[in-house]
Amino acid sequence: MQPIIKVKNLTHIYTDGQNNKIKALDDINLAIMPGEFVAIIGTNGSGKSTLARHFNALLQPTEGKCFVNGLDISVDENIWHVRQNIGMVFQNPDNQIVASIVEEDVAFGPENIGIPHAEIRPRVEAALASVNMTEYAKHAPHLLSGGQKQRIAIAGVLALLPQCIVFDEPTAMLDPRGRKDIVKIVQNLNKEKHITIVYITHKMEEAILADRVIAMEKGKIVMEGTPAEVFGQVKKIHELGLEAPLSAEVAEALRQAGYELSRDIITDEELATALCQ
Amino acid sequence: MLADITLGQYYPGTSFVHKLDPRTKILATMSFIIAVFLAVSATSYAVLVAFVLSVIFLARLPVLLVVKSIKPLWIIIVLTMGIHLLTGQGEVIWSWKFISVTKEGLSMGVMMSLRLVLLLMISSILTFTTSPIVLTDGIEYLLKPFKRVGVPAHELAMMMTIALRFIPTLLEETDRIMKAQMARGAEFKGGNIIARAKGMLPILIPLFISAFRRADELAVAMESRCYHGGEGRTSMHELVYRHRDLLAALAMVVLIVIIGVLKWSNGLCVI
Repeated sequence: MQPIIKVKNLTHIYTDGQNNKIKALDDINLAIMPGEFVAIIGTNGSGKSTLARHFNALLQPTEGKCFVNGLDISVDENIWHVRQNIGMVFQNPDNQIVASIVEEDVAFGPENIGIPHAEIRPRVEAALASVNMTEYAKHAPHLLSGGQKQRIAIAGVLALLPQCIVFDEPTAMLDPRGRKDIVKIVQNLNKEKHITIVYITHKMEEAILADRVIAMEKGKIVMEGTPAEVFGQVKKIHELGLEAPLSAEVAEALRQAGYELSRDIITDEELATALCQ
Repeated sequence: MLADITLGQYYPGTSFVHKLDPRTKILATMSFIIAVFLAVSATSYAVLVAFVLSVIFLARLPVLLVVKSIKPLWIIIVLTMGIHLLTGQGEVIWSWKFISVTKEGLSMGVMMSLRLVLLLMISSILTFTTSPIVLTDGIEYLLKPFKRVGVPAHELAMMMTIALRFIPTLLEETDRIMKAQMARGAEFKGGNIIARAKGMLPILIPLFISAFRRADELAVAMESRCYHGGEGRTSMHELVYRHRDLLAALAMVVLIVIIGVLKWSNGLCVI
């Protein structure tokens, strides 16, 4: 099967305000397969957002290549295909909503790619239904909660019928309830609509829901594997300046104290079962 | 403090006027403005006033609401009246010391201020009966033919859409910044104009910085949703002219003809 996103020896160098060259990404190689749910973790400045912005052709590689469905993102003719197929949801829900009525905003994407007038409304309705926001179609976005705004932003991307959605810390500015809603919607999109998910996060409780976790540091991929494989190595996670999920931390502490516990423990349930044995 | 603002002054409804195509309404407003400038006699002003009143009635707007719309310009209206009253030449009907009011001055003053009142009222009726979004659509359509001479129709409409979207957000933000600065001991009330203007700086600077940051993020988000200007763009709302738009257009033609006839025939009478 052809990977939906393929990154080959990608390096990205940018110049900061003081004219210093900064290497945000350093020789990255990565393939994301259709239907996968990949979480990317790492501290601030580790390059995870920079990497994600290449997937959508918002940034271009300094060296190396990035392909979407086998199409090179640095070729101008491919950009609209890439942006339509790789949707992007950002951190601040306020700054990605364009129109002052919810349904108008969701229609923004399809209008941009010239979908015929008659097909836009069904798309908008379907997109709003998949994020449970149908009843808010005529509302003004500024009166909605953060979580609801973020759901509108997701609907706006869904209306373009993308194969893959890249989420760049979508829950960082939300309250616990909004966070839960978004995580649930993301999981549904992956499981039921088979949309490929790339999920950048600081919250390890969200990262363990992925099929694969990628940890980044200083522009390089330093760990990669299933959530159990990555978070089992609690010490290494700490060295990256991150925290493992609470259960993995507790299991590690118990192991240090001499108890024999599997390194696969990352969820509360797994910890509870192991402790009861 | 700033939370209870309403956007624009749209007065939702389902009347004949509300349902008209925005393009019809914009063009009708423009032709009414022409009619106002053509009007010269008391009779033609009476026709115009009757027309505005019947539109208000048709749109089922509260008359008081429309009358209130002249409030922001009332000083100018009073001034216009005053200047014409005091500077008019002709038959003196009232005088006190060096001040004298003439019959011509009085009628000029009344007509000129009535002109302003009518212009304000008709444009308010337009915004009362048309939601800002629909209005934006209408403006974009009407400006399209002028694209060839360099009028950025789509860009103007997009700017209006984004402005409408972000006005409440930025107002909220202003409110937050004001509270934050007040918590640090900033003083916004009292003092002379200069002191107050200085007091605004700690609000304006963070507000501008944040607005630029927002603009930057919004631009990236728009691009990631395939935005590339007006080229090849479609719209969820298609504007369609209906029978009622034809009716409205007819009404406007009749109005202009009446005003025109009154103007020219009046001239003939004088001759």
